Formats: sequence, C-alpha cells, structure tokens
Amino acid sequence: MSTDRIFPGSDFGLSRRQALRRMAAGFGMLGLAALAGSNSGSNSGSNSGPIGTGAGNLLAGSHSGPHFAPRAKRVIFLFMNGGPSHVDTFDPKPALLRHAGKQPEGKLFKKSQGTGYLPSPLRFDRHGQSGLEVSESLPHLARVIDDCCVIRSMHTDVPNHEPALLMMHSGNMQPIRPSIGSWLQYGLGTENQNLPGYVVLRPTPKIVVGPALWSNSFLPAQHQATSVITADMKVEKLVANIRNSHLPEAEQREQLDLLATLNRRHLAVRAGDSELEGQIRSMETAFHMQREAMDTFDISREPASVREAYGDTPFARSCLLARRLVESGVRVVTVYYVADSNQPWDTHTDHDDGHRKLCADADRPTAALIADLKQRGLLEDTLVVWGGEFGRTPYAQNDKDKKPGRDHHHTAFSTLLAGGGVRGGMSYGTSDEFGMNAQENPVHVHDLHATILHLMGLDHERLTYRYAGRDFRLTDVHGEVIRRILV
Amino acid sequence: MHLRLPRVLGRRLPGWLALWLGVVGIGSALRATELALAQPASGAGAGIDWQKERQFWSFQVPTSSPLPRVRDLRWSRQPLDRFILARLEVDGLSPSAGAEKRSWIRRVTLDLSGIAPTPEEVSAFLTDSRASAEAAVVERLLSSPRFGERMASLWLPLARYAEDQAHQVGEDTTFFYANAWYYRDWVIKAFNRDLPYNQFLLLQLAADRLPKGGTNELAALGFLGLGPKYYDRDRLAVKADEWEDRIDTVCRTMLGLTVACARCHDHKFEPITQEDYYALAGVFASTRMLSQTPDGFIEKDGTTAAKFRPESMHVVAEDLATNVPVFLRGKVDSPGHMVERRFLKLLSTESTRPFADGSGRRELAEAIASSQNPLTARVLVNRLWGQLMGRPLVSTASNFGHSGSAPEIPNLLDTLAVRFMENGWSVKTLVRELALSATYRQAASGADAKNPPVTRMPRRRMSIEQWRDSVLQATGELEATGGHSTDLDDPANRRRTVYARISRLKLNDLLLQFDYPDPNVHGEKRGSTTTAIQKLFFLNSPFMLERARRLVGRLDRDVGADESARVARVYQLLFNRSPDATERQLAGEFLQRPTVGELTRWQQYAQLLLVSNEFFYVD
Repeated sequence: MSTDRIFPGSDFGLSRRQALRRMAAGFGMLGLAALAGSNSGSNSGSNSGPIGTGAGNLLAGSHSGPHFAPRAKRVIFLFMNGGPSHVDTFDPKPALLRHAGKQPEGKLFKKSQGTGYLPSPLRFDRHGQSGLEVSESLPHLARVIDDCCVIRSMHTDVPNHEPALLMMHSGNMQPIRPSIGSWLQYGLGTENQNLPGYVVLRPTPKIVVGPALWSNSFLPAQHQATSVITADMKVEKLVANIRNSHLPEAEQREQLDLLATLNRRHLAVRAGDSELEGQIRSMETAFHMQREAMDTFDISREPASVREAYGDTPFARSCLLARRLVESGVRVVTVYYVADSNQPWDTHTDHDDGHRKLCADADRPTAALIADLKQRGLLEDTLVVWGGEFGRTPYAQNDKDKKPGRDHHHTAFSTLLAGGGVRGGMSYGTSDEFGMNAQENPVHVHDLHATILHLMGLDHERLTYRYAGRDFRLTDVHGEVIRRILV
Repeated sequence: MHLRLPRVLGRRLPGWLALWLGVVGIGSALRATELALAQPASGAGAGIDWQKERQFWSFQVPTSSPLPRVRDLRWSRQPLDRFILARLEVDGLSPSAGAEKRSWIRRVTLDLSGIAPTPEEVSAFLTDSRASAEAAVVERLLSSPRFGERMASLWLPLARYAEDQAHQVGEDTTFFYANAWYYRDWVIKAFNRDLPYNQFLLLQLAADRLPKGGTNELAALGFLGLGPKYYDRDRLAVKADEWEDRIDTVCRTMLGLTVACARCHDHKFEPITQEDYYALAGVFASTRMLSQTPDGFIEKDGTTAAKFRPESMHVVAEDLATNVPVFLRGKVDSPGHMVERRFLKLLSTESTRPFADGSGRRELAEAIASSQNPLTARVLVNRLWGQLMGRPLVSTASNFGHSGSAPEIPNLLDTLAVRFMENGWSVKTLVRELALSATYRQAASGADAKNPPVTRMPRRRMSIEQWRDSVLQATGELEATGGHSTDLDDPANRRRTVYARISRLKLNDLLLQFDYPDPNVHGEKRGSTTTAIQKLFFLNSPFMLERARRLVGRLDRDVGADESARVARVYQLLFNRSPDATERQLAGEFLQRPTVGELTRWQQYAQLLLVSNEFFYVD
C-alpha cells in the first residue's frame, strides 16, 4: 500500500479512485475529515476503542502525510475582512507626514480621489528585544512582537475584495479552486478523528464571497470545512446536529446499539464489504463526536482568567475557541473578523477613527491567543497568520463631508506570522518609502502559501491533485518558500 | 487598471477588442496584429503529426464488433452480455449468480427512477411469473416522468447547473438566475420524451440558431446561459476566465476532453493546441448571456432577480462575431496572433473550414453532435454504463484523452456507441438494454473486492437525491410537484431533491455533506465519502426526527396498533422484505423498553431503520 500514494505524481484515474474508495471504505473515514488516520501527536483517548489506531497508522503511512518533518502541526488564520491598513499597523511611513497632501505619482490602481498622501496619526514605537515598530493602535500585539514575524512586502494581483479574497484563500481569483485549508486537510489528514479537521469561525453569516473561501472545490468532500457561526456560543447552536435535544444519551446509545446489531447482521451476509463496515464505524465516531465536540466547543469551560485575557467580544470568543480547537487536534481554524459589516476593515471613509477602533478590538484577542499558545507550549508548532486580503492606500480617499478614508491597496501590505517554525521578532521585506509598492524581497500570496505549506511539512510543488486532465497545485505554477523567515 | 475606451469607439468594436485596446493601447495592438499576420503561428501545434495523433483509440470513429463467441450460450440476455461473458471466460471466471428478484427490482427502480420501489411495486413483480416481467418493469420505469427527473440528477451537475453566483456584491442579485428551473425542466422533459441525444446537445448549445429550435426549445440554452458570471466581468481578464468555464464545461461534458488545459500553452498530454483553445474561445467571445421571454422580450442588464418576468429564461444569443488572439501564457496583456473560430483540429478533417455562421456556436454544436465525432457517443454511453453498472468502462468519464483511462473491454464500448447512434441516439433504448442485461442482473459484490472488474455488479450507496427521495416516499410524504426550485432547508419541502435550489454561493449543507459536486464547475464525478458529520445528520437533525415521526404516523394509518404488523410493514416499506424471527425479536425487545425522553421507542426504531445500511445501500 505504501506505493499507492495519492500525491504527488501518483498514478491517477482508476487506481487513485479505488485507493480512495478502499481507504474511505476500509477504515470508515474515521473522523470527519481526513483520509489519513492520526498522525503523530494525536493524544485523544477516544482514538482507541471503536476506531482502532492501528487502522489510522496504516492509513497515515499509506498515502497521506507530510513530505518532510513539519515545523507546524496546525494553523490559525485570523482574517481581517476588508483589508487592514499596513501604514497604520506594522509598516511605519514617516515620509507620508513629510509629503502629506502631495498627490501620489506613478501607476495607480486606485485613482487618487482626494487630498493626496495621508499620514498615519498613530505613533510607532520600537518594542521588545527585537525593536520591531508597531503602531500604538496595537499595544497588546506590541508586547508579543518578539514572537512575531512581520512581512512588509506582501502583494497580490488586484485591489478588489472578491478576487483578492479568493486569491488569499485559494491561490486563484475565481471561485473554482480548493482553499488552503482543504489542501492542508488533503495533504495531512486529521489529527483527531472525533473532531472536524478544518473549522471556519465567524460571528455572522455575512461575509464577502462567502463559502467559496473555504471550499474544498474538486478535492474530495471529506476535506471540506465545517463552518460555524459564533453569534451564540452555546455549543448546540455552534455545531449543527451536534446533539439530539429530544433524546437522552442513554437512550440514543440503545438506539445505536440496535442499529449496530442490524447493520452487522446486514454485513454478515455481505462478508468483507469494508465500505459497509466503514459506515458502522463512522456512526460510532459520530456518537463520540457529540460528547467531544460538546466539550471542545464550549469556551465556558475556560477559567475566568483566560477568558478575561482574550476579552469578551465576538472576535475574542472566536480566538479562544480557535485555541481550544487546535489544542484538541483540529488542524486548520480560520477566524473571520466580520461584524454588522461583512468587511469591517474596508474603511473608505473616516479611516483614522474606524481603523483605530478595529485595531483596538482585534489587538487584545490576537495577542492573548499568541501568548496563550506560547504559555501552553503550543506556539512552537502552531502557526498564527494575521492579515487581510490586501492593504490600504497610503493616500486619502475623500467623500464629500466625511472624514478621509483609505482605498484598497494591493501592491504593498503587511501580514503578521507567529509561531509554527517562523522566526520571531523579525520583519521581512520592505515597501517603498510611502508604502506604495513592495520593494525589497516582495512576497506574493503564492509565496506566502508556499511558505505555510512548507511549515506544515508539505512541498507546494509536490502537493498536487489530478483533476480535469492535469495536476493542480495551490500555488499553480508559482510560489517560493520564504526561507529567511524560517527558524 | 486599464483605461476604458470612449463609448462610441467601444461600441463599434467587438467587446474583447475594445477591452484589449484599452489594455495595450491601439499602437501596440496594431503592431501585434501585424505581427500576427506576418508570423507563423506559435501554439499551432506545428510539430504535431495529426494523422498519427488521430490513431489514438478514442479519436478514431468507433466501429461495431461482431458478438464474441462464448462457451456458455444460456447466460446472455442482451448483446452486451456476450462481451462481458467473453471477458469472464478469457479470465477463467464465471458470472456472479443472478440477484434475487427483490434486489433486482430495488436496484432497477433506484437506477431508473431514483426512488426505491414501493411494497406494492415489489409484490406485483414478485408475483408476475411471465417471462416478460422484468421488461414490463423497465417499460413502466422508462415511461414514468420520474425517469427524466432521475436522469436530470445526473446531467445537471455535469452542466454545473446552479441558480446564482459564487459571490454576490452586497445584496445585488442582478447576476442570479431566478428562473433557472426552466432549463432543468427542459432537461427532465427531454429525457422523458427520449429526445435523441445528438439533438439534446445541439439544442443546449445552439437552440437559437437552429430551424428546429424555436421558442419551445429556447430553455435548452441554459446549459450556457446559466454559466458562472465572475466578479468584475467587464474586464478582459475576467471575460477570458468565463470563456474558460464555457470551454471546459462543453468539452468535458460532451467530448470528454480537457481542452481548457490549453489556455496557457499547448496541452501537455493531448493533441490540443493553444490555437484550438482560442479558436473555441472566439465562439464564446461572440456569444452573450441574456434573459429573455419566449415571446422575445429581453430583460435589461442590471435587472435584479426579483424583477425578472416570471417567464424569462436565462439563455445566450449571438454577439458581434469576433476572433480572439492566442493570449501568450494565458495572459490577456500578451496577445499573440489572431485565431479563426473553428472546431478542434484533432477532430476535424483537412476540408474543415473555419466557422462562418455568426459566432459559430451552431457549427460547434453540429461538430460535437455529429456521428462522425469519435467521442460524443462514446462519452455518453460510458456515463450511462457507469450509472447503471456502478462503474464506467472508462473510469475517467470526462477525460477520454491520453491522460484519461483506457476502456475496459474497448470493443464493448465502441459497439454500444455505434448501436446507440444507429438507434437514433435514443437514451431510453440504451438504458433498456443495460437494465435488461444478464450483467446488470448479477448479485452485487462488495466495494473492496480486489479491483472490481466491470464484469461484476458493485454494491452501491444511494446518492443523496436517491436517499432523500426514498425516505420521503417511505414516510408517505413525497410530492410529485415539479417546476420551480425550493430550498431543501425548508421543513415543508417534500419535493424530489432534483427540484432543490442549487447555489454556487452557498451549496445547501445536506447536498454539500453528501458529496453533491461543486456547482461552480463541471461535476465530473461524485465522491462517496463517509463522514461523522453525515452521521450527526442521521442521528440528530430535525429532518430525520420528523421523518421518523411521519413514518410512525404512516404505520398507524397503514396497519394500526398491532406491533407485529407494524414491524412487518416497516420492513416492507424500507427494505422490501419481511423481517426474520431474530429481527422481530430484536424489535420487540427494543420497543418494550421504557423511555424517559420525548421520543417514543417507535420513533427511535423508525429512525434507526431509516439510517440503516440496508436502506442506504443498493445490492
């Protein structure tokens, strides 16, 4: 079986399909997500019992798993929908003050519709041993900046939300490719059979583009995300069908016992049909998942001190939930910063005030998450990624009687990384003196993706899936791992 | 990004050209055009030996083979069986035993109607001792309107049928397809009236360009007219993305060819050049999407979904005919030489001319629907074989090229394809032969039989459509209403699953979780995943709890309070058989247990039977 690798460059078509089918069937798609069984690091007691770790290990070795030793085992994306301003967060540009009001020159993708360069009103101080500059709007993050790497030379292809969001999530501007979370699931499998492998959290269903952002697209359905609306943190509201509120657990157990008996009788005269066997096991997994998910998804089980550290806002509660999930073996979690607006960071008007409030709201939970992971020893193999689909113009966008805003800006912006094998306390790349264009060591979204995959132990050029006559990659034909930020 | 040209100028030029000039400037555009005229074509497949390439099995017109000789002269029931038996005999194998009559009727009813048979249908068949009993069942199923609904469940994902777009700007619904269901209804009816498959394809690509088309068939154009519209679609780069969708969907669905791979460079595995790609792109660059009523009223651009006239259909029409250039590396700011609109060189003859009728859509349709096209019939025959036999002869059903799989038993596929065309491209005729074959009648074997050959019948899991429809039928709730779409999440929705609203923006959770293909792209095949999330739906969803309650209600009505009669009835309703003594005993023990929850033991019992493997799987 060890030759029957699904990727890369495996013999596809029939044999792959059969392999998939055999896997899925034989071992029952134990958890929700992955083909592979548990990788190392799974410490869930419920993996034994009805599931059988032996099967899991066999699977892990058979066709899925990292290409090389991973630095990160799990990843949390904190996504600031709308695009935060790089020049107001991690990329100080004193030149904007000197040239305030001057109209920008050169090729502009968003026409300057206002009063020219708009300096940040925020003070940037050096923090930590690294002395990295962080704006005063992010005081908590400033305290953990030595654990963070700021990429100041990010760029993407277009300054429009939809294609830029899709690019950041799937490496393509149209909604026809798998998300990075699904690619990771496909490549690595799940850690905990009793929980979904890829969870998406957001306080409201309102989000630009929507589910295409976490689509498994042409990857098999077991790599799809479990989408969770966090408006109401009661667990039964978070996870669809997670419990049967009309049936006590003991009675459901009896119900499932009879079902298992009947299913086994059905199987007995169809001896050796491992797909039927897989269905039986999967039902047991679901039964156990109810209890485990009820526990894992319940942030009220956290001590008050921890909940206080994160704060009590929708984003904060999601960050805390994200930590509980990765701690229990969920491999990929994305927290979307959306609110009443489906992209709050899109500050076209009254930017200074609006952006400052957004930073204040996002700052504390993000920093608390990084500190919390670190304190638990999880940060070294958990990657945290903080950023948006692009940045904002260093020049003003003016609208009648409103205070100035900033427009979309894709040719230079910042993304923050922490943990998971990324060097802390460093910045990488630069934008030019006005923050207009990536200058030194530009990092395209494809490069970021290649790097994330690399940290997770996957070679972005070898993680392929044969579909529609060719091998697809998250990074298409692009992407270069940013070696200098690796520990 | 790019400059828009003045309106006057823009209006007089083909859309793509105006945009392109906007991108590259008129000067360089003219230079590029000169270059194009002066230089031999790159991407023209100069090094390709076309004669040789056309020797590949699937690029040759199929020919019929005589029936193979077999030793066992009694087993075969249909011509196709001889091919299967010959292969079995070569391999030293014999066919599996015949399936029980009960299994056969459940299988054939699910395959042809998409719903499990009723106890009455089963008992009528079991007591029919005529030699023609099976043929009678198949005729009944083929003439039922349920046949078209079942077939549509298979066709619509290929056509990436959906009623909206993957993203929506704000609350803007101008790109949503409020009346998409006209296309679905057309597909259903086309299968029900056994519209010849070549006509079926012609109409979907060019109903507006055919004399036979007329307004009755206009809805067929939904195949193209319901395609994805991407964000910022006036930009040339985005238009180019939309052309790729059309080319990919048409070519993989109808030809089993992965032409879209040639957008950026000549195809790496197939004799398909970048020129071929842009020759087809020109057809779609010359085609526009619009919504119109049968009497010719055309909705204005920007009409929101709620404002569409109820009779408006989402179709396509001719735009100003234009060629497009090869875009080097697929980039619209790197135009190469112009390419005339024409069919794929691989499937053309030396005398094939460029398309001359408007966009060329009609000529494209005719080239695809031609009996000289080596792929079209084979691809459909293979899909139907896969649908009934559980596994297609060519396992890559949308890829018949070098990078796809070779057919198992090639002369069988080809003979069936030839006969399919000789029989007037009749889908029902082909389905009849498949369903009445001895091959199809074999007992099912498990999925993990080593490398199950096409000569065996695999045990299959129901699709989500089959399962939900069969559940609703068992509970006595299934409604036959067709037409417009309804949301599957609506608790009052008891219509067939094929009538569910299909969203590119947010695919319904039930469909998503049970392997319905992503409607943003051609759904080449359906996965068969087993996940705990599916099981949580079985265990805890309001849908399941309500079905269990309804099933118990039906038992009350059908047989009253007698427990033994109820158990017998529920087994007939769900499994088309009687319970054995052990099953009766297990039921009795379970039903006598006390309960403290809100659900009666009967409800719990009904639910567990509804989610059991025996119900979910088809032997």
